[in-house]
Amino acid sequence: MTQALHTRPDVFDTVVVGAGVMGATTALFLARAGQKVALIDREDMFRAASGVNAGTLTLHMTRAQLIPHAIRGREMWLDSANWLGEDVGALATPGLSMAFTEAEEELLRQRARVRQEMGAPIEVLSAKETIRIEPGINPTLRAAAYCALDGHIPTYRVGGAYARALRQAGVTIIENSPVEGISPATGGGYEVRITGRAHPVRGHRIVLSTGAWLEKMLGWLGYDIPIRCLINQLVVTETLPPVMRSVLSIANGLLSLKQFANGSVLIGGGWQGEGNIHQGGTRVIPENLRGNVRLAQHVVPRLNEAQILRVWLGLESETPDAMPLIGALTPDEDAFVVGCIHSGFTSGPYMGRLLAERILGSDPDLGAFDPTRFSSLPATGTRP
Amino acid sequence: MSSPDFSPVTVIGGGIAGATSAIALSRHGFPVTLIDEQPVAGGQIFRAPSPYARKIVPPNHEFSGGDTLRQKLAASNVDVRFSTRVWGLSPTLMLDLLGPDGINQLPAATLVVANGATERFLPFQGWTTPRIIGLAGASILMRNGGTLPGQSVVVAGSGPLLFSVAHQVLELGGRVVAIVDAGHRSDWLRLGAMLSLDPARLTQATSWMLRLKKAGIPIHHRAHISEAQETGTGLRLTVTEMDHPERRHVYATEAAACGYGLKPSTLITRTAGVQHRHDPVGGYLEPVTDTAGRTSRPDLYVTGDAAGIRGMAVARLRGLITAHAIAHDRGVISRDTYEALTRVPLRQRRRLEAVSRQMLPLMNAGSAIPAHLQDETIVCRCERVKAATLRSAIQAGAEDLNQLKAWTRCGMGPCQGRMCEDSARGLLAAACGKTPEEAGSFTARMPFFPLPLTAVTGDFTYSDIPLPKAAPL
Repeated sequence: MTQALHTRPDVFDTVVVGAGVMGATTALFLARAGQKVALIDREDMFRAASGVNAGTLTLHMTRAQLIPHAIRGREMWLDSANWLGEDVGALATPGLSMAFTEAEEELLRQRARVRQEMGAPIEVLSAKETIRIEPGINPTLRAAAYCALDGHIPTYRVGGAYARALRQAGVTIIENSPVEGISPATGGGYEVRITGRAHPVRGHRIVLSTGAWLEKMLGWLGYDIPIRCLINQLVVTETLPPVMRSVLSIANGLLSLKQFANGSVLIGGGWQGEGNIHQGGTRVIPENLRGNVRLAQHVVPRLNEAQILRVWLGLESETPDAMPLIGALTPDEDAFVVGCIHSGFTSGPYMGRLLAERILGSDPDLGAFDPTRFSSLPATGTRP
Repeated sequence: MSSPDFSPVTVIGGGIAGATSAIALSRHGFPVTLIDEQPVAGGQIFRAPSPYARKIVPPNHEFSGGDTLRQKLAASNVDVRFSTRVWGLSPTLMLDLLGPDGINQLPAATLVVANGATERFLPFQGWTTPRIIGLAGASILMRNGGTLPGQSVVVAGSGPLLFSVAHQVLELGGRVVAIVDAGHRSDWLRLGAMLSLDPARLTQATSWMLRLKKAGIPIHHRAHISEAQETGTGLRLTVTEMDHPERRHVYATEAAACGYGLKPSTLITRTAGVQHRHDPVGGYLEPVTDTAGRTSRPDLYVTGDAAGIRGMAVARLRGLITAHAIAHDRGVISRDTYEALTRVPLRQRRRLEAVSRQMLPLMNAGSAIPAHLQDETIVCRCERVKAATLRSAIQAGAEDLNQLKAWTRCGMGPCQGRMCEDSARGLLAAACGKTPEEAGSFTARMPFFPLPLTAVTGDFTYSDIPLPKAAPL
């Protein structure tokens, strides 16, 4: 599906760099509004975080300040048939975050309170009430925070659904095309240079949505924002008889546990692997594999019957204040960014749509996500 | 010659190549650890028979050769870890093992990968029906278990294993209903003409063919099973001629054994990051090696069929040559000694390899089958992915094998694509006009086989878990 770029291309209205959930949603809504859009990715689309994440829809694990956005993102996933064009299989389930020690119970209650204030329908349940909802849980738990609005998505169905929607909307998809430089073009707009291709892709404006690769690209535009790259471990088991119905977590947020319709159990929670995104290659840290899986087995003891089918690692990006970057990078409003959203898969489609609306002239409240907040560059200064 | 380096060598695989290599390395003075997943050495060809099989299967070269190999290994200084499987490894060659005592890690300073071959399977409508098994599996069942897959068997697929399995069915008193071969009859005649270079194989092949002929078994060349249906008593198989799809033959049988040749097992070498190439004649991915089994990564050697399918006689010679090469690379023997030790094995190997290479196109004779799979045919058995699902994902833009896997789950199940990779690749390549190499290969992932969760967790209490600090609120 990669576009041949040997001939000099036209100028796009918007060139989106990074074909994951956020960039692809922005591209989709811009194209539907009549823009001529190119969407570029260094690999095939949806192969990084958006293709390999745990598929958790969660209010328990998202940043408290992002809860209103996560609620809207979750609604979009559940409604994907209507706006994306096909049902990606999102399932609404409750979410339970558990405490096994006194300290964890305290943390749980404190976190539940803050999230309640931000609009999450969370209540703290006793052990007995929790086990009535989820009989497979370790009975030694002390308490659990219950949220009615959680759920999960079989992540593998998302990429193909977006591909079909983007194509139908007329987006030009340029895959396997690592971007090696972005610079202002003479006469306005930007030139996006792709490794191994003679001609740059030109756009009146650009959107950067490259997740863990944002730091370098923001640097090309004069922004020096250190972006931390988390290398999250995921573990999936062979299919099992039903052992849980909810999305399970623990008070400190370092576990996500769910069982998909096919019976496989996915164990995540952000335990770290090692690797380097620029040199390529990520690896499991054996001690972290053991820790993550022990935690899962502690929460649902029947996982002792499971077989580990596969372990893999996915990248997540985080700003110094762990809040997203969404908005304009230049006073001329011709360069934008969307990314670094905690639990970004949950709120991703909503954030991508907000940016598209912003580009199309409406004024959603993105103040807390202003990408210029870390920079000494004046927000109303000159183009880099 | 620098001072000799006698640091330990680890060998993965106790088949002909691995065991031969381990014994020779040990004789050169290296401390050698041999890891083998089976409870006794022998690999696939020299696999130890069950006591029952020893009683009822007529004595054969595989039994005697295996017994000799096992005796030699037992008499050597090689430290053998049986019933131990490699489920992962790091780029520093730290091996993750699952053995009788659970999981543990073993650092390998020098690693010899001799984990052999995997059977290539190509699907057809109804292939997941019970009583349809692989050719290699059928061979193990009969030769090492003394058990027929059914009283009547259709033997199908490609490559020399077809005739070996058919012969074994007869030996155990079963009936071969038909032999269905994807290869050209003329390719077999060409191979036959070359067998004078390999008298042992010639004798064996001649006796098999005479016996099959005498039994009056129908043999279809350039044909394949296109459909299987379960009946009350067994299977109803439709055989279609590849060059004349309107010509069909229907057989009733209790069981079918089907396989399309062998391919090197590459999960370990791909995870180790060594360079691989697609062999267009064999139709498979293989690690790039020199004559002695050296790879693109220092200290990692691949020997036997894991370095490209050449068969058991060559495997022994390869194992020997690799061991001598390591001794030379480590300064244990001089160049002259290396050449003296390898002169005869290299000469024998060149002669035998000429025959082996002639077999590759016969094994790969089914390569055109995946392009024509019916939409309803299951390609990935583990995840129940049909050809139609693959075609619709390809149409949506999945033009790389890993994107196809990501969008359809084809290859994500317990077998990690061992069964479906070849057919998914063939279907993708045909649909996009790509070469198999351009279509790609599945990314290798750990664990290499389903790992009991409790092997990883062991005994623990909640306070043993090193909980990371809380995520930001």
